[in-house]
Amino acid sequence: MNPKPSNRLFFPWLGLLGIAILIGLFAAFKLLTEGHHLFNANDVLIWSLPLGVYIYLALASSGLTLLASIPLVFGVKRYEPFAKRLVFLAIAALLGGFISIGLELGNVLNMVYILFSPNLSSPIWWMGTIYSIELVVLVLKFQRIHAGDWSSTTSKTLGKIGFLCALIAPLMIGSVFGLTESRVTYFGPLMSIYCLLMAILSGSALCLFYNLIHAQITGNGLAEDKNSLMRELTRIFTGSLGAVIVLTFIKFFFEGSTVIPEFLNYHKYAQVFGSIAGMNTEVVLGLFLPFILISIPGLRYNNSTRMLTSALVLVGTLAMHMEILLAGQSRPVGPKAEQFPDVISYFPSIWEWMVFMLSIAVMLLLFSLGERFLKLEAKPA
Amino acid sequence: MPRYAMVIDLQRCVGCSACSISCRNENNVPDGIYWSNKITETSGIFPNVRYHYIPTLCNHCENAPCVRGCPTGAMHKLENGITMHNPKKCIGCKYCEFNCPYGVIYFNWTNPHKPWKNREKVLEGTTSPAEEVEKVGGNTIPYYNPEREETLAGIRPKGVVEKCTFCDHRVKRGKLPRCVDACPADARVFGDMNDPNSKVRQLLGKFRPFRLKEQVGTEPHVFYIRDFNPANYQPSKGGI
Repeated sequence: MNPKPSNRLFFPWLGLLGIAILIGLFAAFKLLTEGHHLFNANDVLIWSLPLGVYIYLALASSGLTLLASIPLVFGVKRYEPFAKRLVFLAIAALLGGFISIGLELGNVLNMVYILFSPNLSSPIWWMGTIYSIELVVLVLKFQRIHAGDWSSTTSKTLGKIGFLCALIAPLMIGSVFGLTESRVTYFGPLMSIYCLLMAILSGSALCLFYNLIHAQITGNGLAEDKNSLMRELTRIFTGSLGAVIVLTFIKFFFEGSTVIPEFLNYHKYAQVFGSIAGMNTEVVLGLFLPFILISIPGLRYNNSTRMLTSALVLVGTLAMHMEILLAGQSRPVGPKAEQFPDVISYFPSIWEWMVFMLSIAVMLLLFSLGERFLKLEAKPA
Repeated sequence: MPRYAMVIDLQRCVGCSACSISCRNENNVPDGIYWSNKITETSGIFPNVRYHYIPTLCNHCENAPCVRGCPTGAMHKLENGITMHNPKKCIGCKYCEFNCPYGVIYFNWTNPHKPWKNREKVLEGTTSPAEEVEKVGGNTIPYYNPEREETLAGIRPKGVVEKCTFCDHRVKRGKLPRCVDACPADARVFGDMNDPNSKVRQLLGKFRPFRLKEQVGTEPHVFYIRDFNPANYQPSKGGI
């Protein structure tokens, strides 16, 4: 990402991404022509890896937009060197997410009815609409910034609308699950709050990781002003990590102490990635371990520690989304118990991995091209 | 405007599955998808056990979570209370299926009815594709019911969901839903909840009906009355 013009790895890197995208496009063609039986999903486990990837990338995009709002909406000038890159990363992550959900949908061409036949009581409608608006607004905002317009009324208004979208959209993702009568384990407002916190966490983790990798690849290191910003960003990252840990504990406590049958069943299958000392593996390695490491004063601002902890969080949050998604769908509802096993086992099919690869590759390609051609480090004159 | 509902008499139901088979024929339901289905349960501890059978179908809920959650209104309510689906508007997000508390909505994961077009020979020297049977003057098996097309795609394509419609195309013509018609034990009664003289209203007043998962507040319009249990036991004072 942002290789110097002389960097010989840039074109092989683009070639690699191109191959990944071609493979992903082949999967897209097969899904459109043959149907979603290519996924290891069924009428019990309805949503699988592509949906988890969508949630993950869409929330990360919202988190990045919220971070970008610190300078762009709240006028904190010292964050301005990050702003343009954050907006661009948010666009790329959201596009990756849209690819994933687009290929999860059975009939993506009928999406036109989201516009012509809206159902305002549907959380999916709100989620899709707000994220679509967010994407358009982010692109327009980026275009303004790229043209050097950081503070016109139009530019500021776009920033504010983007901020509002990024704030509401994660709540809407949460409500898609939180308003599900048939699956009590998802039900309630907790899911919306959880998604918002996860958005801030994954956004700050991606921002931290990306900037450190960027400094590593370009060999420029972190300039003094950026270094102090990275320290502030590390504090935001640590704070959001702590907030997600508190909410996760509350969730564990409620799930573990209730005797509502659905929760007892859920609890039984809620450790799809195994456990360490009774706690979910992804929570221990993706939340607790990074929090402990980043809380040690001697390690906190060490680049290797920050890179490791943000990478652990990036992998851990994806795993946490998948765990919540799968555990709530692992048992058949009603008469479906007649034709399906008591518990559904799941491992993504090769086609699901290809969709995953396509989403990530498109996002990385945009990152790479953006760094090369769009001067992402620009700040107001 | 009528408000349609169904009463299923569990004492009369013998679990023969004629409802499910006739539904499949009437609505061209593909393999692996069940508009009409059943829940079987075993209660008690061996050797004191008993088997229970509850036929199921779309409950055509008053507060249907599938309708509320559908982003394009593909899943919608008709004025007569039937929960209907429009595959032309369906984006295949499967949220209705995810959100249905009764497990009665299915997704077309692939092109439906592949076996209908299967030209593979089961035995060497034999074949039964419709075109070849017609060529030799034979009657082809009428797999497909064109009447279904009156209100819904005769066969729903891959990538969209489908479910029971209370046979709205038959009801429109003053007929009973196919499962009601086909039940050999007359265990199903279909009618208008708004008509005080309808059989449905009479039965609901005569017995103590129950509905599935009433606690979730969806107001299902499939009611169950009585129970198939001929067992008896000797009266005693407190079991002593």
